[in-house]
Amino acid sequence: MNLESLVHVCLAGLSTGMFIWLVASGLTLIFGVLGVLNFAHGSFYMLGAYCAFTALKLMGGNFWLGLLVGPLVVCAVGFVIERFFLRHVYGLELPYQLLLTFAFVLLFDNLVKIIWGAGSIGSPSVPGLSGSVNILGRFFPVYNLFIIVVGPLVALGLWALIEKTWYGRIIRAASTEREMAAAIGVRVPALFTGVFVFGTWLGAVGGALAVPYIGLLTPGMGEAIIIEAFVVAVIGGLGSLKGAFLGALVIGLLSSFGTRFLPAFDMFLTFILMAAVLLWRPQGFFGKAV
Amino acid sequence: MGNNGWTRRRFIQAGLLTTGAAALGVGVTRPTGLWAATPKIKGPIKVGYQAIMSGTLAGYGEFHKMGVTLAMEEINAGGGIAGNKLEVEFRDSTLKAPEAIQNARYFVDSWGADFLGGVDSSGQALALAPVMAELDRILIVTHAATEKLTEEQVFKNGIKQIFRICTPTYQDGNAAAFVAKDLPAATWATISPKYEYGYTCWDMFKNTLTKLKPGVSFTAESWAPFGTTDFRSHINTILDAKPEGLYSTEWAGELITMVRQAGQAGLFKSIKHVMFPVGAAMDVLEGLGADMPDNVWISGRYFFLYPNNSTNNDWVQRFRKRWNHYPAYVSETGYSAMFALKKAVEAAGSKETKAVIQALEGMTMDSPAGQRVFRKEDHQAMYDVPWGLTVASDKYPFKIMGKQILVPAKECFNRPPFEGEGTRPPF
Amino acid sequence: MKRYAPILFAGIALAALVLIGLIGGRFLIYLTSRVMILSIFAMGYNILFGRTGLLSFGHAAFYAGGAYGLGLFMLHVLPHPLLGIVVGVACAALLAVVIGFFCVRHTEIYFAMLTLAFGMMVFSLIWNLRDITGGDDGLVGIIRTPIALGPLSIPIIKPQSYYFLILALLLLSVFLIYRIRHSPFGLVLAGIRENEKRVAFAGVSLKNYRLGAFVLSGAFAGLAGALGTLLESSTSPFSAHWSHSAEPILVTLIGGLQTFAGPMVGSAVFIVLREVIERFTHNWMLWFSIILLVIIMGFRGGIVGILSGRRK
Repeated sequence: MNLESLVHVCLAGLSTGMFIWLVASGLTLIFGVLGVLNFAHGSFYMLGAYCAFTALKLMGGNFWLGLLVGPLVVCAVGFVIERFFLRHVYGLELPYQLLLTFAFVLLFDNLVKIIWGAGSIGSPSVPGLSGSVNILGRFFPVYNLFIIVVGPLVALGLWALIEKTWYGRIIRAASTEREMAAAIGVRVPALFTGVFVFGTWLGAVGGALAVPYIGLLTPGMGEAIIIEAFVVAVIGGLGSLKGAFLGALVIGLLSSFGTRFLPAFDMFLTFILMAAVLLWRPQGFFGKAV
Repeated sequence: MGNNGWTRRRFIQAGLLTTGAAALGVGVTRPTGLWAATPKIKGPIKVGYQAIMSGTLAGYGEFHKMGVTLAMEEINAGGGIAGNKLEVEFRDSTLKAPEAIQNARYFVDSWGADFLGGVDSSGQALALAPVMAELDRILIVTHAATEKLTEEQVFKNGIKQIFRICTPTYQDGNAAAFVAKDLPAATWATISPKYEYGYTCWDMFKNTLTKLKPGVSFTAESWAPFGTTDFRSHINTILDAKPEGLYSTEWAGELITMVRQAGQAGLFKSIKHVMFPVGAAMDVLEGLGADMPDNVWISGRYFFLYPNNSTNNDWVQRFRKRWNHYPAYVSETGYSAMFALKKAVEAAGSKETKAVIQALEGMTMDSPAGQRVFRKEDHQAMYDVPWGLTVASDKYPFKIMGKQILVPAKECFNRPPFEGEGTRPPF
Repeated sequence: MKRYAPILFAGIALAALVLIGLIGGRFLIYLTSRVMILSIFAMGYNILFGRTGLLSFGHAAFYAGGAYGLGLFMLHVLPHPLLGIVVGVACAALLAVVIGFFCVRHTEIYFAMLTLAFGMMVFSLIWNLRDITGGDDGLVGIIRTPIALGPLSIPIIKPQSYYFLILALLLLSVFLIYRIRHSPFGLVLAGIRENEKRVAFAGVSLKNYRLGAFVLSGAFAGLAGALGTLLESSTSPFSAHWSHSAEPILVTLIGGLQTFAGPMVGSAVFIVLREVIERFTHNWMLWFSIILLVIIMGFRGGIVGILSGRRK
């Protein structure tokens, strides 16, 4: 046990946490405003990865162009889901909403297999961010440092959007008092569509960014991440973006330190944490607020 | 990518859809006459094949299918099995045992399969064993590697319906130790899957290597759960232990991810002796491309450049022509399973389970992977797969095996009766 | 006439089940066995879900409790299937008491997430306690030994004879669940679903009733798990995975959420549909998801709802 190891385990935990945050942010935003826990968010993550990959292939292999275009395609999918499906079940009981999004998980897993093939696809390289840097004598990928920076930037951007803009005020109003917002002239359905599509975009960007880090694309890649994102969203207090950010950090560091220092470490511990938070502080670290 | 080409869209008994459940039990209706060339065997010969076709490992199912379909086409073009047409139906095994059992029961009791093949997961193979005894059909396992299948289910429990054509965990654990004993590394560590396969192989590696090279020590273990996408903490664990050698039975997509992340962390610079028992899988080599470091020891259940003889090279050519792909190891085991059945049925002059079991036991066959012999006691196919050091090549867009070491199956596979002196290598 | 329709359907269904057991082929008997086991799982689930509206993502843990309870008992203690089933159900119920004690403190999404967390803890334990559970290989070689009852010894090794044991336990389950549904306890549960506050004002402890429903449904899940293990002669950690918890929800939805027969009809449709679709394509999940979407968007009463003309 030395400093070099400690720093690197920390860095690993931070980058893991920031990846989960990118996915959990969209999930949390959608839950906070629409009140829907979206199973299909993992599918958006997967679709984001695949669409960015195809966009990249079609446009000369530039990773950044793929990252820009791919998630936009997934936004169209998100739009269709909200406008033509989800909108019709808001008034119904919880199971219908969950199962509707669950049905989309099954649908997209299979569609991806049909469209892109069953085998895994190797990831493209990222120009400018492909090497590693020497930190205290051990190497750490530049790309992961980039993600450690991007995560908080996304968080900052979301905070500014929600706290400082006119849209943010409407979103906050609609998430706490739906009827009131409608009464003062907010077009709630349109707002919901907008928020859902934006959340979709966040998930898709998370997927597109995850590919160079995981190293490959596989059908079904969204299933593992969605449970982690659920854990993070719950620990942070469902619907709280601040909480989700902190939750992602906690889970990232817990799994990184746990894997390194506790031989028996397992997802078991994260689920214990999740249950404990639900039992003693269901509102999460900061209480329910967007 | 659809699977129209492979899926047999036979129109099932017309009654099925209309009368629903009742028709599912119609049972075995064997077409007769058309292909019945010899009086004893009434064709066609039907093989039910299951492999993983969904989820993150779905690519393996595709590779299985390619090999089996090619075998079927070649067998039928060459007059079939004893004059009977070979028919194959595929099903998705998922990775769950109850699904595998339902598939097997469907194949035998509803579709009328004479033989079964496939199966990727060890848990599924173990769960299927008693079912195969009940259904009394032969299952040729082409991927699942657990030694318990042949040692316990076949040898100890006497379930003679199970055969395995691929190499088992012995190749991954024992053979690796034979290679490791000559490497200048006295301390070893592992990053391996956090399930039975990973635990078993590491135990075998440790035990055999300790016997071969007393004084060697094992300094760190880091176990990665199924579906791990982030190996950075595992890699840090290994780097902290500073072993001279790393052994890892990670496989498929997770091996690709681990190698990439280990490369980024500079692991291959500080640890010189690295062994990947399933690193010679085509999906891994192609998926990693130039990111697979040089001078890493890799092996598999088959590698398309070994053996360098006309049987294998011609087959690789035919496979390339048919699928525009290099054959994966499951393509070879699936392909050879069909030819094993052909040879056994023709030798037995019958497709009855008992007769074919007798023909398969001790049977020698030539296959792309070389000569295979089905060991009589435990029904394990004995054949040699090399271990090799990765090297770049002008001819291929991925790393191949350069320097090779062959540890013959006879020397590294556990031997019956599997308990007591002289049953585990070195002999 | 309409009043007697359910009784008529039940009679026909029972006759069909008996007939399948007597003259069905081996595969039909196997499939129907699976349908009946899933029915028990789903009907038990519906005590909680259909009656109190609580959506659990952790019931696979109780299924696994029954499966591993029976498996370990038969492998290490006594190879007696009936006692094994009793032990399995007891294990599942006990597990449900412990987990339920915590989970019923919440409702809605928080309840769903709590059950998910506890369910995955059980999955993780089963996966990792490999000396006891066999890890991911699971427990194998659980043989259906004859049931010894005093001097009697009833063989159930043949799929056909085991089929009738499942059928008997299915009928017992249907009877018990019907009685529970119409007992004062069941009526209070329905009341909780309709109007939680009013029931609470009437001096009823909501938590205790929810816990009661939770444990009962857990016990039936355990029964299904024990029977499933005997059917396959094995069990594996996937039986405890959260995705397995989704199965009873899905079949209940297909069959009809608020109906008594819904879970059974849904189970039959789920398994038969899969078997039929698989014969034409390997992408059965694709078609299944489309069917789900159609039901959620247009036919929320499920198949029973459609048949009884109650399209919501």
